Amino acid sequence: VARQDGVQITAWDAGGVDAKSSARSRPDTGIESNSAQSTVGRIRLLITAAILCVAYYLGVQVGFALTLWPHPISTLWPPNSLLLAALLLIPQRYWWILFLAALPAHLAAQLGSGIPLTMVLGWFVSNCSEALIGAFCVRRFVSGPLRFDSFRHVSIFLLFGVLLAALLSSFIDAAMVTLVGWADQTYWRLWQPRFFSNFLASLTVVPVVLTWVAGSKEWVRRAQRWQHVELGLLLAALLAVCLLVFNRQEMGPGTAPALLYLPLPFLLWAAVRHGPLGTSTSLAVVVFLAIWGTAHGQGPFVISSPEDNARSLQLFLIAIGVPMLLLAAVIEERRQTEEALQASEQRSDNIFRSSPDPIAIIRRLDGALIDVNDRWEAMFGFSRAEAVGRTMQDLQLYADEGTHDIVTRLASDSGRLRDLSTDVRDRHGGMHTTLLTAEVADVGNESCVIAMFRDVTEQRRAEREAFEQRQELAHLSRVATIGELSGALAHELNQPLTAILGNAQAAQASLAGDRFDVVELREILQDIVQQDVRAGEVIRRLRQLLKRGEAQFQSLDVVQLVREVLELAHSDLVARNIKVDVRLSPGLPAVRGDRIELQQVLLNLIVNACESMSAADEPATRTLTIRGQAAAGNGVQLSIIDQGPTISPEHMARMFEPFFTTKRHGLGLGLSICKRIVTAHGGRIWATANRGRGAAVHVVLSADPEAQS
Amino acid sequence: VSALAPIVFLVDDDAAVLRAVTRLLQTNGYEVRAFDSSQAFMDAHDPERPGCLLLDVAMPGVGGLELQQRIAAAGMERAIVFITGQGDIPTSVRAMKAGAVDFLTKPFDRAQLIAAVESAIEQDRSMRRKRAERRSIEERVATLTWRERQVFEHVLGGQLNKQIAAALGTAEKTVKTYRGRVMRKMQAASLADLVRMGERIGVTPARGRSADR
Repeated sequence: VARQDGVQITAWDAGGVDAKSSARSRPDTGIESNSAQSTVGRIRLLITAAILCVAYYLGVQVGFALTLWPHPISTLWPPNSLLLAALLLIPQRYWWILFLAALPAHLAAQLGSGIPLTMVLGWFVSNCSEALIGAFCVRRFVSGPLRFDSFRHVSIFLLFGVLLAALLSSFIDAAMVTLVGWADQTYWRLWQPRFFSNFLASLTVVPVVLTWVAGSKEWVRRAQRWQHVELGLLLAALLAVCLLVFNRQEMGPGTAPALLYLPLPFLLWAAVRHGPLGTSTSLAVVVFLAIWGTAHGQGPFVISSPEDNARSLQLFLIAIGVPMLLLAAVIEERRQTEEALQASEQRSDNIFRSSPDPIAIIRRLDGALIDVNDRWEAMFGFSRAEAVGRTMQDLQLYADEGTHDIVTRLASDSGRLRDLSTDVRDRHGGMHTTLLTAEVADVGNESCVIAMFRDVTEQRRAEREAFEQRQELAHLSRVATIGELSGALAHELNQPLTAILGNAQAAQASLAGDRFDVVELREILQDIVQQDVRAGEVIRRLRQLLKRGEAQFQSLDVVQLVREVLELAHSDLVARNIKVDVRLSPGLPAVRGDRIELQQVLLNLIVNACESMSAADEPATRTLTIRGQAAAGNGVQLSIIDQGPTISPEHMARMFEPFFTTKRHGLGLGLSICKRIVTAHGGRIWATANRGRGAAVHVVLSADPEAQS
Repeated sequence: VSALAPIVFLVDDDAAVLRAVTRLLQTNGYEVRAFDSSQAFMDAHDPERPGCLLLDVAMPGVGGLELQQRIAAAGMERAIVFITGQGDIPTSVRAMKAGAVDFLTKPFDRAQLIAAVESAIEQDRSMRRKRAERRSIEERVATLTWRERQVFEHVLGGQLNKQIAAALGTAEKTVKTYRGRVMRKMQAASLADLVRMGERIGVTPARGRSADR
């Protein structure tokens, strides 16, 4: 109900800007504002009804005044049209009020002249029927208020509100007269003058009323003072011309027909400069004065019988009025389109000028700059005046000569660039990294490229710095892990060194004595070589982990990865008396990643697990399980399962956060770095509590797609 | 004193180290028995065999320190030299307190190894000698009668014959006779020798009454 009310108010206040905008901005407002609106609506309704009542009465009087006696039918019969205009101003469900308001005016105006009541009422019915038919048809085809600034609205109005309504109601009117027996003429002769009269009245009165109701407020506010003056002058001139042409005694049938066209320039003036409002008003002036003059026996239309005179006058006025209304509508429509276009161009221009990214408009033919915006000037250091007419290559702005060709050879159909990383040089030689986005567009009938250079120099630098910091942090974490393992690693080196020294001195002793066994000596040397290789391997692996460098992704065998890490951690595991249980499912796919980074992750997790188990201080149950199995969605899941103390859920949730640690001397970076490394590999890492005791950390890595094919 | 030559037992889980140290000791004239785990050693250990044990600290399963405890718990005596790849102070202190002879940090050279092994063998030898001596004294004490044992304890308490007689409620002459028998049975050359034997096996000296003083 609320919505309907809003819509109806919109229709009612034909073109009233206030009601329209309020209805639009508050389509679903509460009951309160709606009831307030409907109160205002009711008052307006009553005012409209009161005005109609008076206007109807006056309209009848005007109709009488514009009758070419003794021809009984008025040349212009305004009451019907006034009713039609009023109906178009209010919601359909209140129409009956207007009919009620018109009735007393009708009776008051007609009853005094000795016409029988049945005829008077019959005429009221036919008057109402015309307004009803016209209003109903227009409402049917036009949603919202009827406006005279659109060709479609005016056409619908002319076709239904004017032609159809006049046509049909004239049949009814003529039928009424015949039924009552008021006139003795044939039906056809009764119908014809009424039709023209009604037609002309609707054509003249309705546009004036509706455009003034709708447009007056807006027009007064918007138009310049000189526009008011101009319209005043126009109307005054028109008045003068019409008085001259139609209201002078000497203008008889003998006057030159050319004089009839004298009002035409003024009507055109109104149509071109003053829109529907000015045109309909001017038209009303011409119609009124022409009929007035003729009714008083003056002007060029006093030729033969009053009936014929009336018809030719009506035809003349209709022939002028219809095209004028259409012309005014078309011109107004074009003006509005133009305004919208200008506003849109203004907006586009504003966007171009004030864009936060440098934009250049480049002619495709020769690559010359047509226009550049403020940011472009700021970034490249050339002013618009310096840049326009030259190419960006001439100005040596492209770091790579090829960019010029890429931009100018952009194909017109599919041609567009999206965030192409492009290095440019500003006037002072400063280099900028930009993302070039370009598109072909017609600018002023020339095929151009609109090129946007988004400056990402700072962003790139920050990214690079962040990347380096991440690498540095990962390296530090590796060093810290190695530090924790230093004792174990020393052991790992000392084993082969002990063997080498022992073997060498055994050989020395054996050579010093008289008995030396060549076979044994060979075995000794073989052992020495082997142990030297072993020591070298430990050092190589250490260096690899300590090396700082960018990640190198390659295909990695999971089994080998786990074995290498366990070899590094071997001594630590033995020293802590921890048994390792490795369970890798056969046929695990290779994963893609950086060997050192993944080793770091596993080593970190193993060292963590060992530390938590050592803290538990229960030697009997120290087993570290490393499980590897195929993960859902083509990957490998590695689980490092310890038997240390159970981790509380809140610790479990925060484990991978930076600077979170439960160790006394821990930095709390290891696991957060592990997480970052795994995430950078497109994998996942998480922790779970074991059913019995201890915890498990799981890492899922995606399989290397290339290794599979 | 056993007639067998000293032997070096070696336990290390690293096969290469085991081989190299074995060779080094063998070329220096030692008899070596090498094991790659504590369990293998325990299975084959002959406590009667003189010699020492070279023992790695960090080994999977039973580690060096634990093996040391097990040997002690089994009532065996064996001079132990620990060898380790990561010598940390707490571990070495624990090992030394539990009676280790030495603590060698890998890599060690021949001289260090030989010195440690030599001193361990020497310690093992003296341990064995002391034990043999104690056993022979104990055998002799076992031959004493109840009365002779009483007199022996009083003599160890430094009492005169008269005091012993008063304590045991017998004649001084009788005490003198028992004393002579004790000296003979214990094969003591002098009173001082007798007292030393008593101390060696831990006989509790009897304390005399001080009634006369």
